[in-house]
Amino acid sequence: MKRFKVLGIMFLVLGLLTTACGKSNNGNTGSASPIASPSASESATPAEKVKLRLAYWNKESSVQTLLDLIKQKLPNIEIEYQFIENSQFDNIVGTQLAAGSGPDIISVGPQAAAKYSQLGYLADLSSFADRFNDAGKSVYSADGKLVALPGISWFEGIFYNKEIFAKYGLKPPTTFEEELQLHEILKKNGVKPQAMGAKSYEPMMKSSMGLIMNEFLSKPENKDFDVKYGKGETTLEGSWNAGLEQWSELIKRGYLTKDMLGIDYDQALDEFATGKAAMWESGPWALDAIKQKNPNIQVDMFPFHGSTAGPGWLIGGPGVGFAANAKSEYQDAIMQVLDLISTPEGQKAFWQDNQGGSSYLKGAEFEMPAEYNGVKETFKAGNVYAPWNNWGGSVSAVIQDYGKALQELLGGKSDVSSVLKATDKQTERIVKMNQ
Amino acid sequence: MNRTKREINYGMFILPALIFYVLFCVSPFATMFYYSVTDYSVMKQTNLSFVGLRNYVDIPENDLLLSGIKNSLVYALLMTIFQSVLGILLAVALDKKLKTKNILRSIYFLPAVFSPLIIGFLWNYLMSTSDFGLINQGLTSIGLSKINFLGDSDLALYSVIFTQLWQWTGWAMVIFLANLQSISKDYYEAAEIDGATGAQKFWRITLPLLQPSVNVVTVTAMIGGLKVFDIIMSLTNGGPGNATETIMTAFIKTTFSQGFYGYGAAFGVVFFVAVMLLTMILMQFLRKWGEKIA
Repeated sequence: MKRFKVLGIMFLVLGLLTTACGKSNNGNTGSASPIASPSASESATPAEKVKLRLAYWNKESSVQTLLDLIKQKLPNIEIEYQFIENSQFDNIVGTQLAAGSGPDIISVGPQAAAKYSQLGYLADLSSFADRFNDAGKSVYSADGKLVALPGISWFEGIFYNKEIFAKYGLKPPTTFEEELQLHEILKKNGVKPQAMGAKSYEPMMKSSMGLIMNEFLSKPENKDFDVKYGKGETTLEGSWNAGLEQWSELIKRGYLTKDMLGIDYDQALDEFATGKAAMWESGPWALDAIKQKNPNIQVDMFPFHGSTAGPGWLIGGPGVGFAANAKSEYQDAIMQVLDLISTPEGQKAFWQDNQGGSSYLKGAEFEMPAEYNGVKETFKAGNVYAPWNNWGGSVSAVIQDYGKALQELLGGKSDVSSVLKATDKQTERIVKMNQ
Repeated sequence: MNRTKREINYGMFILPALIFYVLFCVSPFATMFYYSVTDYSVMKQTNLSFVGLRNYVDIPENDLLLSGIKNSLVYALLMTIFQSVLGILLAVALDKKLKTKNILRSIYFLPAVFSPLIIGFLWNYLMSTSDFGLINQGLTSIGLSKINFLGDSDLALYSVIFTQLWQWTGWAMVIFLANLQSISKDYYEAAEIDGATGAQKFWRITLPLLQPSVNVVTVTAMIGGLKVFDIIMSLTNGGPGNATETIMTAFIKTTFSQGFYGYGAAFGVVFFVAVMLLTMILMQFLRKWGEKIA
């Protein structure tokens, strides 16, 4: 009998736990939309602090200066920072938004911004639009409205080891042909021209698009190509063939080799940082790691070039956009925070923890570190672009397939036309499924 | 009356486990069946519509999933065969009266203790074609050319299988050893009196009596092989191209990266049926083998 009493107590506890879970869930729903929390309901009085939740896929340290500025300038607003790991960010935030309990300020990439806007989750931020330049606004606009503030840009170019270049009398190239020539000189001198972590689909995907931006996408007649491609109205096959054939000279001439398919990002970084390779394609986030491995290394960067000399192009775009949850009841407080971010002071605070990128805010210019002197002209020309940012939703599958098809090209299992057809097939499938 | 009461009493004991099982296993599984016939996606999370078998019909159009199915079958088959064969050979060898048998058993079992993610990181460096790759350094230092273990699409899947055999053969060996030690020595003594050779003893006594452990190892290897995920993510991430994509990596990419949940659920259902059928075939084969021995 005693045993059954114990069992009965166990069930009671279980029941209570279940009830507690239910209550806790309700609480969570409320706190996610902060107005429902006790502090929120009290916030009707202006003197009370309003608590806003900001979700981002980077650690808090990457926006610490900005958070400090908000604390200092907007004492009535408290930011509750929520770090969500990058690979799960869209799943978690997407589910929260669908449940009507998303963060008040949402960090978004271009594809997520378009998606959430279409679903009606994002507030219209067009009142801030005049403060930002077109390059930033275009990727965060939907149906003619600005739906997120473009943050500090990210970019990728080609880092080069200045000492190795000086040793062989080489200068940064101004055309793709010159780039091929300096690869040849380095190779003849027994120096690995370029490190490439081709085990990942990304580096060749970006490297080839760098050339295609010069040769195809930057032409006025192809201005709308990316948007049309995202809608399935045009194909890469028949459009990118010439550019990709030209880029594949890097493979044909043996500068990008099959063994690179067995090398990952970290190992490629090691090769470049330790002077075993003269060039490596990457961005500002890698600089600290390079210098930690080799504090004496002298590096600079050059952009991707095409057939004709010019400022070249960098792969990149607005790194993160800050959007407002349309369903939050704290719209005033959110707008105050976004207003502060949309000032030179706010941009500088954000840039402080993300040095290397540039701001899309008109009149906000920051000193670029010396390691990027070689791409100053490219920035001045505004030639920073990532084609897939305009390819619509579920784009990660498309660029992954493109990068993977390039791995097959490098492995000798495919050709240029097959690479483009495989990518088109994936795009067609996704467009069809999205319909 | 007493019997009914007793049934209820025992039923009460299993009720908590049953509740958890229904909540966390049966319910999500049934939900997956439901989602597989809807248009559930990241773009449409409410007011779902019934789309019939559309998600199932679309599966063959996805190269990623097809590559995943092919590679998983090769992986599961090779893992099942080699893990069992090598495990039995190791177990028989280490069942002999060796002074070092305990140390050797520990050494062979040790890799099974580590997480596949750690094993992946380790072999990633060992097999790398960069100057930091230990195996290729060794090969080049004796005048041989480098082998692109993880970057050659014809070799990558087999390189992954090799690392997993290295990790899990020791585990299979332990299962076989436990079984071996339960085989009475009388059989071997009788066979020796009859003049049986070592090979005859192995084929006629050891192997048939290992049948219970062979069942365990082959079934777990087959199911584990079909749903392999972590080692692929840490070693190759499915590349180069789709050369090492498996059912699970393709499933995760399709469902969560691309956001087509209904489509992913349909694939999950197909995967479930495929694993069930393959396991049933294997069990049938093992049962017949068991009957033959009996």
